[in-house]
Amino acid sequence: MTYEQLNLVALELSTFNPESVPLFSMLICRHAFTVPLLIIIFAVGCNPSASTTRDVLAVFGRTGFGDGDFSYPRAIAVSPDGSVYAVDKTARVQKFDSNGVFLLGWKMPDRAAGKPIGLSVHRDGRVFVADTHYHRVVIFDPMGNQLATFGELGTGDGQFQLPTDVAFDQQGNVYVSEYGGNDRITKWSPDFHFLSAMGEKPIDGVRLNRPAGIDIDVEQSLWVADACNHRIVHMTLDGETLATYGEMGRESGKFRYPYDVDVSSSRMVMVAEFGGDRLQWLDKKGRFLQTWGSSGRKPGELSAPWGAAYGPNKNVYVVDSLNNRVQIIKP
Amino acid sequence: MSWIAWTMPFDFEEPIWLWLCLLVPILIAVSIRSLAGIEPIRRVLSIAVRCLLVVLVAFCLAGVQSVQRNEDLTVLYLMDRSHSVQEMQEKQEQFIIESTKEMPPDDRAGMIDFARNAYLQQLPMRGGYFIAPGRLPVMPNTDRTDIATAVRLAMAMFPHDTAKRIVLMSDGNDNMGDLLTEARRAKANGVPVDVVPLQYRRSNEVFFERLIAPTHASPGEQVPLRMVLNTTKPVSGTILVYRNGDLLQMPSDQSRVSLKPGRNTFFIKIPIESEITQSYEAIFRPDRQSDDSVALNNTSRAFTFVSGSSRVLVISGGLPDDQPMVDALRSENVLVDLVTPAELGDFLLPDMMSYSTIVLSNVPAASFTEAQQEALAIYVKDMGSGLIMTGGDEGFGAGGWIGTKLEEVMPVTFEIKHKRVIPRGALVLIMHSCEIARGNFWGKEMAKKSVDTVSSQDYIGVLTYTYSPGGENWEVPFDRNRNKSAVKAQIDRMQMGDMPDFGRTMQMAYKELANGRGRDAAQKHVIIMSDGDASPPSPKLLADYKKAKITVSTIALGWGGHVFQPTMIKIAKATGGRFYAARNPKQLPQIFTKESKVVRRPLIIDEPFQPVTINPNSDLLAGGAISGSMPPLGGMVLTSPKQSPNVVVPIVRATDDGEDPVLAHWQYELGKTVAFTSGYWAHWGQQWTGWPKFAKFWAQIVRWTMRQDTPANFDTYTKIEGNRGRIVIDALDKDASYLNNLAAQARVIGPNNEVIPTRFMQTGPGKYEAVFEVTKAGQYLANVRMSDQGRDLGTLRTGLTVPFSPEYRDLIPNEALLRQVVDITDGRWLDQGPMQADVFSHDLPLTEARKPAWEWVLAWLLLPLFLLDVAVRRLASWLALSIAVEVVVLFVMLFGLGVWYGAWWGILGAILLAELIGWTIRFRYIGPIFDYMTHSVTALGRAGERSAASLDKLKDVRERVLDEREDVGKEKLERISQDDEPVSIKTAKRKYEATGGRVAGRSGDLSATLGGAQSEEKSQGKPKSKPGETKPEEEQEDATSRLLRAKRRARKDIEE
Repeated sequence: MTYEQLNLVALELSTFNPESVPLFSMLICRHAFTVPLLIIIFAVGCNPSASTTRDVLAVFGRTGFGDGDFSYPRAIAVSPDGSVYAVDKTARVQKFDSNGVFLLGWKMPDRAAGKPIGLSVHRDGRVFVADTHYHRVVIFDPMGNQLATFGELGTGDGQFQLPTDVAFDQQGNVYVSEYGGNDRITKWSPDFHFLSAMGEKPIDGVRLNRPAGIDIDVEQSLWVADACNHRIVHMTLDGETLATYGEMGRESGKFRYPYDVDVSSSRMVMVAEFGGDRLQWLDKKGRFLQTWGSSGRKPGELSAPWGAAYGPNKNVYVVDSLNNRVQIIKP
Repeated sequence: MSWIAWTMPFDFEEPIWLWLCLLVPILIAVSIRSLAGIEPIRRVLSIAVRCLLVVLVAFCLAGVQSVQRNEDLTVLYLMDRSHSVQEMQEKQEQFIIESTKEMPPDDRAGMIDFARNAYLQQLPMRGGYFIAPGRLPVMPNTDRTDIATAVRLAMAMFPHDTAKRIVLMSDGNDNMGDLLTEARRAKANGVPVDVVPLQYRRSNEVFFERLIAPTHASPGEQVPLRMVLNTTKPVSGTILVYRNGDLLQMPSDQSRVSLKPGRNTFFIKIPIESEITQSYEAIFRPDRQSDDSVALNNTSRAFTFVSGSSRVLVISGGLPDDQPMVDALRSENVLVDLVTPAELGDFLLPDMMSYSTIVLSNVPAASFTEAQQEALAIYVKDMGSGLIMTGGDEGFGAGGWIGTKLEEVMPVTFEIKHKRVIPRGALVLIMHSCEIARGNFWGKEMAKKSVDTVSSQDYIGVLTYTYSPGGENWEVPFDRNRNKSAVKAQIDRMQMGDMPDFGRTMQMAYKELANGRGRDAAQKHVIIMSDGDASPPSPKLLADYKKAKITVSTIALGWGGHVFQPTMIKIAKATGGRFYAARNPKQLPQIFTKESKVVRRPLIIDEPFQPVTINPNSDLLAGGAISGSMPPLGGMVLTSPKQSPNVVVPIVRATDDGEDPVLAHWQYELGKTVAFTSGYWAHWGQQWTGWPKFAKFWAQIVRWTMRQDTPANFDTYTKIEGNRGRIVIDALDKDASYLNNLAAQARVIGPNNEVIPTRFMQTGPGKYEAVFEVTKAGQYLANVRMSDQGRDLGTLRTGLTVPFSPEYRDLIPNEALLRQVVDITDGRWLDQGPMQADVFSHDLPLTEARKPAWEWVLAWLLLPLFLLDVAVRRLASWLALSIAVEVVVLFVMLFGLGVWYGAWWGILGAILLAELIGWTIRFRYIGPIFDYMTHSVTALGRAGERSAASLDKLKDVRERVLDEREDVGKEKLERISQDDEPVSIKTAKRKYEATGGRVAGRSGDLSATLGGAQSEEKSQGKPKSKPGETKPEEEQEDATSRLLRAKRRARKDIEE
């Protein structure tokens, strides 16, 4: 390029007025408006409660059989002292501190026939494991020493088919949910004598179908995750139905195989959706509040979560079963 | 040229191309002349660049390589974990740990353990050996030692750029593979094999070396059994001999033995009482267990074929149904045994070989294990025996035989391939992930088996629960089973989830079967595979199933416990299906075949018809003797004849829709098979059993299929030699003279029904030998077909038994072999401790890693230099040239040499260097360029003044010279002025040089120097001034003012 040509270009650039070119000014104006608009649409249009890794405080556990490793963990519970218990498909109960540091672990007494899918911690620290495939509940002290068991195979009083979860009321009574054809919730005295059974009659026209998780709130009412009916059932401790919420679906307020319910928060009901790969919060009237999580393997994503529990500081411990880990989140 | 590699970090692949460098002097010579027109600096630069280019091109053509020398060492430990040294694992681990403790930080250590197979346990890694003692995974198949494979794996695992060493820890009792060949290969690759010998001596050991029985015998003969036992010290004990699984009662003087150290041989004679193959098993039991350290080697086996009349085995699905046929055959003097599948037990190839022909009469595929089905196929095609299958509701496709190995050998396919419209079946599989180990694997295997068993006319679909996002899906969409391999691939890809609920999948299946595509199916069936812990379906759904006549069978996968059965039993019961509690994976194939068969009921034609003979000259109809009018049959199973010229279909059922084969036969490889699709005499063939030709008909068929007997004048014997089996045949003709140049076609079948490649060679007069690998313990059967220039001489049966692996008979290490390996590979004998062994001693030659570098030279040196060469010659401006050089240098350094990816100071250094070079080029011209860039009027003015001053000086000089010249040779000048033209050409050629003399005019010179091209143009356009017309004063004025004028014009032009 010769000097003259260079000069020409420089002149042209210095004297160029964008406003004088109609198309150019139009482009600038359009972008000046549309780009921020697009950003706003994206920022606002998305579901504001969709999971972000920002909410994840920590992730612990990896695939394996060692201490602190998991192989398809299926139930989680937090004890009043803040320690976290989880049971996996190797029938190991592992105890962690609230930051996910492994403390101790023990194996279930019998494992060949199948592994437990539920556990809960009594407020005195005892660990109640729903030993599903042995049709009983096994009770351990916080150090893993076996204290007692109750229940046997059957559909009668004091018998279980496949127990799934345990809950406690203020009087210390024990509630156990079960499925396998005689899906119901049974009530046991603090010294493990059978008291009554509930949920054996149709609720809103449909019998309980795999009550996979139960919890009792401060108002002493029972919340049931009725998994295969894809709904949450709210009942009194005498088995009287107060309400049912939800139906099958992926929309907010609907469920796909809700496997666990936690009502330790005074205002909210937290539901872990096994088939929906998310947590959902409802208020006590069953109105949708928010969801967290989506399918995937990254932190902030879930794969077949079997359960979730509130821990210290209102942190939520969600057992991310297929990813063989527990995520601690603050939604 | 490798001397280059030792002096410089590069080398050449084809150094011959370097002769191209000789072009450099020629290039210099040519360039000096051709570039004479440009300035000296540019000329030097250009020539230098060009020479470099030629050299680099020569380098590229010669395949320049970069050579990296590496002093690091990689040691791969090979750990023997075979049975013979199983108690020495700890010692070996300790050796590795100790010897790697103080290894140099840049060296690497890796570990491979081996027995029958070799496994890499630690990749070559820096920093040591990381596997904690006792934490090695369990080694499968320790019954053999294959050091060669381990060495081969080690050779493949070495990094290429370090010195390499193998440390072999073994007892040297290698009984597979070829270690010495592998050692030679290691030597060729410069890898020494150091050996750590594992020493032991078994003092308490007895083993059964061999049991020898004759290969052939006749009924009634006394068979001699020779037993060879070996012991390390005197032992007394008992010998037990089993014949076909039954313990033989022997007198105590024969069974009680005392063994002396070394080899002991005993004989017993056993009479042959039946006509089936005799298999013998002899066991030695020492009186005191402490006398023997390995119990696995106390058993030996052998077998003897009994030659006699050919026998036929009829395996019957229902004994009364088949009695008429058996009676008929016996009446025709055929020796027949009749059994049910349940009575067969462990019925495998050696047992089958007792019979010349086997008849499967209305037996379902599920009655046989997969191995038995495979053995039946080998019995026909490799062993040259006969097989007849007859129909009934459990035969052919209706018996679940579709897709089995047996279908391959039959003359008909069990699928209906022709146009006919037949009622279809529909099968849905619901798969639930199971908690038992490998539960999902078995589930998938069984689903694939169903796909094989179900015909391509039927519907099949697979439902399961999948994750992410969770939900029930048709993993195999419900459709016709047309592309079986695609469907099986889909099943393989399937991820089975933990299904919460049977209800939803069953609802989906119901939708397709009752109202969807499966609506028209004649048989609708669902199979659920689960461990039972999904939630049960609603009673309403079960009622719907029953109403729609959809049966559901449930298979509990739990191997005993671990299944929640109530749900599964309830589903099966409510829908009319069956419940199975599979106790082990071996049961599954049979369950599945039985279940999938449910949808195949439409293959049965249950109505009377008149069979029609369409091929009366078939061998089976005795050349027409049996054909003619036959009694009607009550039913049959549909099949299609195979599309092969060998298939003959003598009898058919003729319909408007085509002909269905009733009787079909062919020869398949060595054997012959017959399909009779009717049968089931009590139901379909009542009129046939009374038919006078019935007996003759069946005797004819059976005799046609029977295996040909061994020619009596051929003798065979077999032998085991280490890892090899040897078969020897002595071939004599009737007159006992040797038969030479015979062709022997052999099929050897191993213990797992695998075909072992074998070739016979003639090794002497009438003597033929074949050697084959025996890698497993068990029975090896051989079938040898002898022919003499295309003439079939008959088939020989023989075989041998490998009682146990040679691994179990090693009493001392094989030090000689290990020493040989050390000698071949120049390795070391490390029988001292791990610390003294100095495994990581750096006494091996350095390694060189060579990488081709010509691409790099081409991309990063040749191309930039080429551009630079062009720039040097073409870029008029020194500024531009210096920038070009700078950019090229910077570019090559940053990206070519990779400085960009290094530390910041490297980048800074590269920039500084490039700038230095750039500014060196710019240096002389910096002043004028600065002026040029600022191009202020004052600067221009000053430049003008300077020019004027210098002009004055120049002018004086020239005046003087001119005057002198005019004085000296005026005449000469006049002559030049007359001959004006050539001078002007010369001037034009040398336009850049300051022209001496008056030829082009003095003003022209000046303007050329200062005004560039324009001035030059002007000077050319101007009428040439004649010599002698010089006017110095005018010119002086002219020069300055013209210069200014030119500048003004130029500015004006620009402004315009």
